Amino acid sequence: MKIIQIIKKRLSGKQSGKQSGKQFEKQSKRLSQIVTEAVLLTVMLCLVMLCMLCPVRGEAKVYLDITSPGLRKFPIAIQDFSGAGEGVGISEIIRSDFNFTGLFLVLDKGAFIETSDSPFNADNWKPLGADLVVKGTIEVAPDGSLGVTVSGYDVVEMKNILKKRYSSRRDLVRPLAHKIADDLFEVITGQRGLFSTKIVFVGQEGHGRAIYLMDYDGQRLKKIVGRGSITMKPRWSSDGKTIAYSSLRNMKWNIYTLDFDSATEHLVYSSAGTNLVGGFTPDGQYLLFSSSSKGSPDIYMIHLRTKVLSRLTYEPNIDVSPSVSPDGKQIVYVSDRSSVPQLYIMGMDGNDSRRITFEGNYNTTPEWSPAGDSIVFTSRTGGLFQVFTIKPDGSAMAQLTSAGNNEEPSFSPDGRYITFTSDRDGTKGVYVMNVNGEGQHKISPRNIRAFGPSWSR
Amino acid sequence: MKRLVIFAFLALFIFACAQKEVTIPDESKRPHDAGKKESTGKEDVTTIDKENIRDNALSEEDIRREMESISSDIHFAYNRYEITEESQPILRKISDWMLKRTKVSILVEGHCDERGTSEYNLALGDQRAQAAKNYIVSLGVPASRIETVSFGKEQPLCMEKTEECWAKNRRAHFVMSK
Repeated sequence: MKIIQIIKKRLSGKQSGKQSGKQFEKQSKRLSQIVTEAVLLTVMLCLVMLCMLCPVRGEAKVYLDITSPGLRKFPIAIQDFSGAGEGVGISEIIRSDFNFTGLFLVLDKGAFIETSDSPFNADNWKPLGADLVVKGTIEVAPDGSLGVTVSGYDVVEMKNILKKRYSSRRDLVRPLAHKIADDLFEVITGQRGLFSTKIVFVGQEGHGRAIYLMDYDGQRLKKIVGRGSITMKPRWSSDGKTIAYSSLRNMKWNIYTLDFDSATEHLVYSSAGTNLVGGFTPDGQYLLFSSSSKGSPDIYMIHLRTKVLSRLTYEPNIDVSPSVSPDGKQIVYVSDRSSVPQLYIMGMDGNDSRRITFEGNYNTTPEWSPAGDSIVFTSRTGGLFQVFTIKPDGSAMAQLTSAGNNEEPSFSPDGRYITFTSDRDGTKGVYVMNVNGEGQHKISPRNIRAFGPSWSR
Repeated sequence: MKRLVIFAFLALFIFACAQKEVTIPDESKRPHDAGKKESTGKEDVTTIDKENIRDNALSEEDIRREMESISSDIHFAYNRYEITEESQPILRKISDWMLKRTKVSILVEGHCDERGTSEYNLALGDQRAQAAKNYIVSLGVPASRIETVSFGKEQPLCMEKTEECWAKNRRAHFVMSK
C-alpha cells in the first residue's frame, strides 16, 4: 500500500506542480487516473505473484499447440466463480476472452452438473467432453477489495494444474478477469495471452477528433488526447509505454509522443510541410516518420532523446508510412516512385531499396508482423480498399477482407490477430479478425466514427 | 470642376483597363514579364500609383473579397498532383494578384477525394498544395509568401460517391493568411 501511495503522490505531484505547456490540461487528470489504475493493478498483481499458494505447474506440458496447423478446438469449462456477486461477471469475461481466440470450445455453463462451490470431480466433466475445468472462489476483504483464488483442473489426468491467488480493487474486475484469462491461456498453450492488451484509435464525435484507448475487446473506452483539428493513426512503442501520432495544430502537422507513465505529451518534431509518424524502432530509441519539409515527403528517423535527425530517402516523389522490422534491420514503406503507391523495403540507412508489391496500383499502410515473416497492408482492388498480407520477399500476397472498404491494419502483439478500419456497416469502425481473415467483428462503439486503430505491443 | 470630373473619369477608365489586364493574363508576357509593368509606359505608372493609393484605402476584408473573386479551386486527376492545363490560368491570376498586392500572404490547402488511405492522401494533398505553390513561385512570387497545408481526404467539399463529387474534392484551395 505504501508503494501505491508513493506512486499516487508522484502522479498528483506531477499534475499540480510544474504544469508545463506541454502537459495536458484536462487529459492529464483522466490519463493519470488510467495510469494509476494500471499501476495499482500491476502492483497488486505483483504482490499476488509473491504469495502464489503453490506453483503446481511442474514440467511445462502444452495442452494446446496453437502453432500446429490442423488445430482441434480445445474444450474448456469455466465455472461461475463463487463467493461474491462479481463471480458471474468475471467468469463471463474469461469465457469471452477464450471465445475470441477461436482456439477453444467454451462449454455452455447451463450443462454443468457440478455446482460452483463443490470440489472438482472429474466424473462430472467427462460426459461433457471438457478437457480442462476452471473454478474460482472470491473473498471480499474488509477494505472492499476482492481476493480471488483460481484453480485449473486437467479432467483426463484428474489433477490440479493451476492454483493462483489474485487481489484487486472491486471496480477493476475487467482487468482482473483478463489477467486470469492470460494466465490460464499461458498454462494451456505455453504462449503469452493478449487479453490485457489495448487498442488506440482515432475517434470522431461530431466535429471533434480525439485519440481513444480501449481494451482489446472494445471495453473500458477512454478519451486520452483531445487536441488537434485532425489527428492521425497512432503507433505504439514496443514496450507499450508510449504512443506517437501526427496532429494538425495551428495549421502545422506536428509529431507528438504520449508517455503513459508520466501522462505527458511531448512535441517530437515540427516543421513546414506534412509530418506523419511511422513506427518506432524495436529498442524504442528512434521514431520513423515522413516529412515534406524539403519538398516531397521523405523518410526520416529521429532519436527521441537527443532529437538527432537522419534522412533516409531523397526521391523527388512521395515516400511515407515507414514500419520497422522486428529485428530492427529493415524498413517497409510506401513510395510512388513508380507513379503509383507501392510497398518498398530498405535498410536502416536508407540504402538497398527494393519494391515488393507488383499486383494492384494502390498499395499503402504497411505494418511488419511481430514475428517478421509477414507484412499487412491496404490494397485497392475492384474499386475498394482491402486488407492483404504479403511476405517480405514479395511472395504469398493474400486478401483477408472483402466487405466494404477495409484499411489501416495493425497486428496484435502475438501476431495472431489484426485490427483494422472498416466502413462495411455504413460508418467507419474499428474491427478485429484472425490473421487468416476469420472472425471479423466490430469492437468500437456505434456512436463514434472510429478509424486508425493500433494494437499495443 | 469640369477638369476634375474629366480627370476622375480618365483615371477610372485607365483603372478599369488595368483591372481587365490583370484578369485576362497575356500569355506572351509571362512568366518573365510579370511584375515589370511599371517600366512599360506612362499610363501604367499612373495605374500603379492609383493602385497603391487604393491598396492603402482597402480594408483587409476588401482584399480578401478581391482574392476570393479571382482564386477558384484548381483540380487534379485521381491520385495525381501535376498541375493541369485548365488550372494554369487560375494560378496565373493568383500570381498576378499577389505581385500587385505585395503585402499579402496566402495558404494553399491540398485536398483529396475519399478513395485512398488517410495517410497516403495526406502526402498526396501535400504534393498538390506544393505543386500549386511551385507554379505561383515560378511566376515570380516569393516562396516566403506562400504556405501550404494538407488536409488529405479529411475535409471533403462534396459527400456523394460520384465521379463529379470526387473531382470537386481533388483540389487545391487558396486562402489569404495575411
